[in-house]
Amino acid sequence: MENLENNDVLLKVEHLSQFFKMGRMELKAVNDVSFDIKKGEVFGLVGESGCGKTTTGRSIIKLYDITSGNVYFKGTRICAGIRSYKDSIKKKKLETKIKIQELNKNKPEGYKEEIAKLNEELHKHISEQREEIKKANFDEKNCNNEYRDEQIKLVEEKYLPLLERDENNKELKKEYENELRKAKNSKLVTQIQMIFQDPIASLDPRMTVKEIIAEGLIIQGEKNKQIIEEKVFKMLELVGLVREHASRYPHEFSGGQRQRIGVARSIIMQPELIIADEPVSALDVSIQAQVINLLNDLRHSLGLSILFIAHDLSVVKYFSDRIGVMYYGNMVELAPSDELFLNPLHPYTRSLLSAIPLPDPAYEKRRQRITYNPLKEHDYSVDKPSLREIKPGHFVHCNEKEFQEYLKIIK
Amino acid sequence: MNKKLEVKNLKISFKTMNGKVQAVRDISFDLYEGDTLAIVGESGSGKSVTSKAILGILAGNSIIEGGEIIYDGKNLLNIPEDEFHKIRGDKIAMIFQDPLSSLNPIMRIGRQLTEAMLLKGKARQRESRITFNNHLRLLKENMFEAIAKDDESKKANITLKCNNFDKFEYKHLALEGSFNKAFESCENAILDIENIAFKLEKKAADDLSYTLRKIKKEALQSIHTYVVDSRKDELVNLVATISSGAKDVKKNKENFKPLVDSLNGIKDILVEAKNYDKPNFFSMGYYLTFSKEPLPNMPVVELNKFLRTYLDDNFMLDFINDAKLGLINSASKALEYKKEFVSKFDYYKEEFLKENLVKEETDKLLKEIKELVNNSIDRLETIKDSIAYTMSQSLKADIDQYYSAISKNKKEQARFNGQTIKYEKMVKGGRTPEWKVAPLSLIDLVYLQETIVDQIERLKDHYVELISKFDSRDFDSESISTIDFLKENASGVVNKITPQMARNKAITLMEEVGISEPRRRYYQYPFEFSGGMRQRIVIAIALAANPDILICDEPTTALDVTIQAQILELINKLKAQRKLAIIFITHDLGVVANMADRIAVMYAGKIVEYGTSEDIFYDPRHPYTWALLSSMPDLDTNDKLEAIPGTPPNMIYPPKGDAFAERNKYALKIDFELEPPMFEISETHSAATWLLHENAPKIKPPKIVTERIERMKKVNAEYLKKSSEKGEK
Repeated sequence: MENLENNDVLLKVEHLSQFFKMGRMELKAVNDVSFDIKKGEVFGLVGESGCGKTTTGRSIIKLYDITSGNVYFKGTRICAGIRSYKDSIKKKKLETKIKIQELNKNKPEGYKEEIAKLNEELHKHISEQREEIKKANFDEKNCNNEYRDEQIKLVEEKYLPLLERDENNKELKKEYENELRKAKNSKLVTQIQMIFQDPIASLDPRMTVKEIIAEGLIIQGEKNKQIIEEKVFKMLELVGLVREHASRYPHEFSGGQRQRIGVARSIIMQPELIIADEPVSALDVSIQAQVINLLNDLRHSLGLSILFIAHDLSVVKYFSDRIGVMYYGNMVELAPSDELFLNPLHPYTRSLLSAIPLPDPAYEKRRQRITYNPLKEHDYSVDKPSLREIKPGHFVHCNEKEFQEYLKIIK
Repeated sequence: MNKKLEVKNLKISFKTMNGKVQAVRDISFDLYEGDTLAIVGESGSGKSVTSKAILGILAGNSIIEGGEIIYDGKNLLNIPEDEFHKIRGDKIAMIFQDPLSSLNPIMRIGRQLTEAMLLKGKARQRESRITFNNHLRLLKENMFEAIAKDDESKKANITLKCNNFDKFEYKHLALEGSFNKAFESCENAILDIENIAFKLEKKAADDLSYTLRKIKKEALQSIHTYVVDSRKDELVNLVATISSGAKDVKKNKENFKPLVDSLNGIKDILVEAKNYDKPNFFSMGYYLTFSKEPLPNMPVVELNKFLRTYLDDNFMLDFINDAKLGLINSASKALEYKKEFVSKFDYYKEEFLKENLVKEETDKLLKEIKELVNNSIDRLETIKDSIAYTMSQSLKADIDQYYSAISKNKKEQARFNGQTIKYEKMVKGGRTPEWKVAPLSLIDLVYLQETIVDQIERLKDHYVELISKFDSRDFDSESISTIDFLKENASGVVNKITPQMARNKAITLMEEVGISEPRRRYYQYPFEFSGGMRQRIVIAIALAANPDILICDEPTTALDVTIQAQILELINKLKAQRKLAIIFITHDLGVVANMADRIAVMYAGKIVEYGTSEDIFYDPRHPYTWALLSSMPDLDTNDKLEAIPGTPPNMIYPPKGDAFAERNKYALKIDFELEPPMFEISETHSAATWLLHENAPKIKPPKIVTERIERMKKVNAEYLKKSSEKGEK
């Protein structure tokens, strides 16, 4: 486990890659993406459909097993991929093989010792990497342990002294057992919750609203019906619905209200991070505004951090503090939202910004859309690109030559 | 601008278990050629219902309570299904909201794209043959009347002329068809060569052999007497060198130079060929059919001149002159009947406004009017006079409504009387009944009579206008446009679509809407496509039939910005190219600013504000429009968004007064009592809100809206200043 320097960082994504097998081919849905989300921040993720925004969100919440990279949540590694280690072993093996072949061919002085040295190095490297793989697998499985132990400890600290004082208090004992069971069931990952895109498809039509919202609590081990009911009512009121709605079914609600149920379901677990996967794109404009206002209020009152995935740039701009732009699995630009809209550097970002429709007919008539063609724009045959910091907090995916050009532009 | 579609007083409701839902309540709008009308509103405001009514695909439980949708001389609300088949998809196409449910899951994409093309191709061929024949026959008859009267030799002369026109028209189309084919493949080859050369230099060419085969084929196809002729041997030689070049590239990727060189050589020839002068095939067709001599050997420009004079001297001027006389004859004949109708209007009005109409009498009157209106239509007009064509039908419908209302009223009265007597009896008997007598709802007969008269009056006003304009009509240009109309229909007869052509057309369409690798995609099933891709397929299918009117029902709501922008651009481009009339339905005002010429804001089944896009965005007047504008963030918004509170009203019980009053923070007292009429603000702009009444308090739009408008104006003014400065320099 590593300690992060900045305590404010809630979620840290390091070199996240997610590949899917498609027959013989491999689809690189997310390829080496890194970013972090600070506490109380809204991080927007934009890009066209199929660029891997949703996959990123789903990988973070462990709906997929990630291929390589690390995800840290509150300093604990919750996802770890092993592909990069395996690749590094393969690469090292190949390198050594070539070197040994060359040595065998040329036979310079003392080449046998050289070969032995190379082999030793290789073995060392392999064992190192295997250790890493073991660690990653362990973390992946047991990331919740520490958190669980902590929770159990907290419960015990709270109740044990009370129980010692008053041994015959049955109610207190019952409460203690209840809390302890919950703590044993608790998982760190439940601190991350998701709001799905389609409010119709993401709610079970055969469950009442109360059952939908309470499901998480019940899975966690909460058995006290009164507490469940109270919490559900509280959540309903928090998202702007009424108590009477609890006994209804999802089909009886309008689109905006359904999305509110989805929000209530995710905040009942008292999460610290919410992954909102296009929560407003399926809604009417007026209802969109309601849901965005709701999320904004909740964010301030509950101190939530939000990973906001969307393709509507005006909404993302309005709602997020920082924005990451993705293109075909790569993060091409990452900057504070005002900075991004003021100084878009990467040509893809510029083309994206030029496509935003605004409610201004005169502007619309002269708007020129920039098209992005990666083949024309970049020449990466020699110098491979990477994410570089151009200004404090402003990162662009580029190579050295482009980096210099961007620096000129920004000055 | 030509009026393409007219919706008048449309009222639609749905029968449900709980009662009658009034989805559309009395809306009217017009649609012009090359013009986009955007209908904006929340879901449930009746936008989609309106568009479905235009396409005749309303759900089974719908009731059309009144109104008209007039297209091409027909009222779409009461034409039979058989006739609608010819219009739906062919003339009026629709892009649906949900791409998932509008594609057939068990048919390959290619089949779905070409299905309509193949079916409609046959139908269109038959149709244009019929139109062509009918129109020519009518013209001939009118020419007889105007010129020949009883002179048999003149009659024979005219018949010969018409037959000749028919004959050489075919020759002309065959010539032009072969030329177009060659020209098209020439253009395609140039495009393909540019593409592949670029890719070769970047070393990113993947389907090399296929593209090269295509280029070869296209280059050879473009050899034609008027496309590539003088340098055709050179072209053939260059094409032959492609294969060896391709082999070199296959062996070594660096060795692409010879291939690119030979491709560029081909391109140069083709570009030169593309800029040749185009001969006049119409006159050439005539020359080749009737002149016994072969075509004179001269440059194209001179040839054109020669052929033109030949045609004009021998046939065309004479024919146009005759056609003009025929047109005048037909128009003046119709004019007499129009005048008669106008003079008889007062009599009709009196008859229909009588108390207690008698069925036999009105039937007789209706018959008379029908005959008169039928006669007053000039059948040789190329643009149909919609009002006159639909008049007798709607009049009959109105009269039928009147008589059915009489019998209904009787029943209603009987029911009411019976219930009241029963109720009073029970009360007298000392019991308190649990039910109440439902109030009497009689249909207003006088109002129905007035609507009948309104129908006639509308036609009368229209006719008065036409009569006053008659003297200034330009029959010269009209006769030319008639002949163009005939030409166009004749070309429809020859344009046969083969499966191969349909496939090519489908693939170009798929490329046009931005689907990569269309040839592979052509054979895939819908489930293999992502949402955005599916929507593009739906758009391609809608455009495949080359419609007159395109209805877009939230076509880009599910797509992301770049694709949305591409698709909107595509629709705009097609609109300009094909002079489409578009109805664009959406709830996203940002999209509308780009697309719309005029905007109708709908709420609870009514149009609440109507104007050009400048009117709506820079000077919105209705509180609902304000609410819509302020609930969407733009790039400079930082304040809290003003969401519209509550939900749209339940349209089973439409609220009294203004439907928006309950959610409106600017609502006045009168809004809850009385429905506001449409107040006219300017010639193009009107809104239905009491705030525009002269006695209403002056209320400013919300801050978020006014600020945005000011900002937009400032930006635009700066831009104008800059561009004018640039112009001066």
